[in-house]
Amino acid sequence: MSYLTSEVNIHKKNFELSFNLNVPLNGITALLGPSGCGKSTCLRTIAGLEKPDEGTISFSRDQWFNSKLKINVSPQKRNIGMMFQDYALFSHLTVKQNIGYGRKSSSKDIEFWMERLHISQYKDTYPEKLSGGQRQRVALARALITQPDLLLLDEPLSAIDVSLRHKIRLELKELVARTGVPTLLVSHYLEDARYLADYVGVMVNGKIMQFGQTAEVFENPVNRQVAEVLGWTNFLPVHSISNKGVKAKWGEMSLSEEPSVDTAWLTIRPEHISFAKSGVHTEQTNIDAKICAITDLGAFRTVHCKLMDDTIVDMHRPWDEPLPIPGNLVKLHFPQQHIHMLSNAGTFARKYKLIKPLQQDIGIGKLSDNDKNVI
Amino acid sequence: MLDIQSIFVTLKLALFTVCLLLLISSPLAWWLATTQQRSKVLIEAIIALPLVLPPTVLGFYLLILLGSQGAIGGVWQSMTGEPLAFTFAGLVIASCIYSLPFVVQPLQAAFESLDKSMLEASWTLGASKIRSLFTVVIPQIRRGLITAIVLGFAHTLGEFGVVLMVGGNIPGATKVISISIYEQVETLEYDSAHKMALLLLMFSFMVLFFVYAINRRWQVGIKT
Repeated sequence: MSYLTSEVNIHKKNFELSFNLNVPLNGITALLGPSGCGKSTCLRTIAGLEKPDEGTISFSRDQWFNSKLKINVSPQKRNIGMMFQDYALFSHLTVKQNIGYGRKSSSKDIEFWMERLHISQYKDTYPEKLSGGQRQRVALARALITQPDLLLLDEPLSAIDVSLRHKIRLELKELVARTGVPTLLVSHYLEDARYLADYVGVMVNGKIMQFGQTAEVFENPVNRQVAEVLGWTNFLPVHSISNKGVKAKWGEMSLSEEPSVDTAWLTIRPEHISFAKSGVHTEQTNIDAKICAITDLGAFRTVHCKLMDDTIVDMHRPWDEPLPIPGNLVKLHFPQQHIHMLSNAGTFARKYKLIKPLQQDIGIGKLSDNDKNVI
Repeated sequence: MLDIQSIFVTLKLALFTVCLLLLISSPLAWWLATTQQRSKVLIEAIIALPLVLPPTVLGFYLLILLGSQGAIGGVWQSMTGEPLAFTFAGLVIASCIYSLPFVVQPLQAAFESLDKSMLEASWTLGASKIRSLFTVVIPQIRRGLITAIVLGFAHTLGEFGVVLMVGGNIPGATKVISISIYEQVETLEYDSAHKMALLLLMFSFMVLFFVYAINRRWQVGIKT
């Protein structure tokens, strides 16, 4: 298994990034984070396109950067394949010339990769004439033909139309799995990372806050910042903790297990909240709320509710479910098995209860506990 | 009668000037296109000066600079024993300064519009910086490059005021077409003046026509 280790600091005029990455690279690893959190800079630094001010970067047994030893291996010598966000195809060269640009590419290889990525019929076409998906395939072929030790993908699907995304995601995952090249991608699209990646690192303010198997990370964010990046939106403040219960201005809630002392927030996914049904849902996890607004999102509707302390809680309800009109007072039901306890940002959280068994391993070998480096 | 000698001097001057200017302007334009330094504004203003200064003003200062007592001329004379003012070498230096913005500005615009990720892509594909220069940068900026060459060449070809101030009117050494035409008009040799002027006009037109045709072909070539 290849190991990528980096501990670098980058100081720029309006930008400070210090990322500490120590991850096994096997299959696809995604770095997730909001726009501007330093993901792309992180990728560019690994590729050698940005020079850190200090630190070290190693891949497998090779040291690529070491500020103390004044080592800085050029991008040309790192043997990486990189697909840029806008694909960076050479507009003055045809598809065939683009693919054959890199090192180690014979015309037999070019034919092979064009065949494999179904772009043979475009070999004499210039990139300007290609669709987003075709450009992506050319860029991938151009990167993979050089037999890289590490494939870096910068927002691989951001230039693809929404209607084609799912299909192209599928193709990309299959292709990378078949080639077996360890891949690191950055994205701010949760769906892309969830679907493509075997492992996910969540990046907040230039730091990897959580790293692990994709399903595990998505279901068990370690703190509020990570939860926000992963699309969790409901955060109920907790003011005091009693035996098996929490109190706050929005009310109180009894829990079947004792919460940890550093619990600062309760969180629950919008799709798990429902309206309490008398006689069915226990009173212990029901909360009073007022409906503020309803947004129709096609497949489902989002109901925006306000709790007693003005905390806003969103819930997703099926599009055909009859809903109370805005202004009505309702009781919301929070199923205990979906409630998470989070500590304040920056510290580790304790999950209230294991929600469900982890998704089965995606077939690339399990990580041992030592391999999981949560920073 | 055509003044072959001055045609030859003019072409030689334009050729020398363009070659020298490309060597100086390429790194300068790259720096201007990529730097974040504040001094960029000052340098840009200095480079653009010949665009607005009357050629006689520029020529006057250049004459002082290139003269045997001047900063450049003095050093040159102590090194080579030859003066710079009223020589072909002095004329080349003056032309370079006079035509500098016509070469730097198109190159700078071309470098600014160059997609840097293409350059980076070529590095990650293992291409050395020299290979990237010839296979990515130059093909990408070729229109800007051709524009710079043609503008630099054509501007030098039509030079008058600066040449007269710095080079004088020495046949075979510093007498260029525009001065030859002026001299012929002064001596009322309208026939010769007509021939020379028509030659310059046709040459300029053909060069510009050629450039636009090439640009159009490249544009179409990329699109199909």
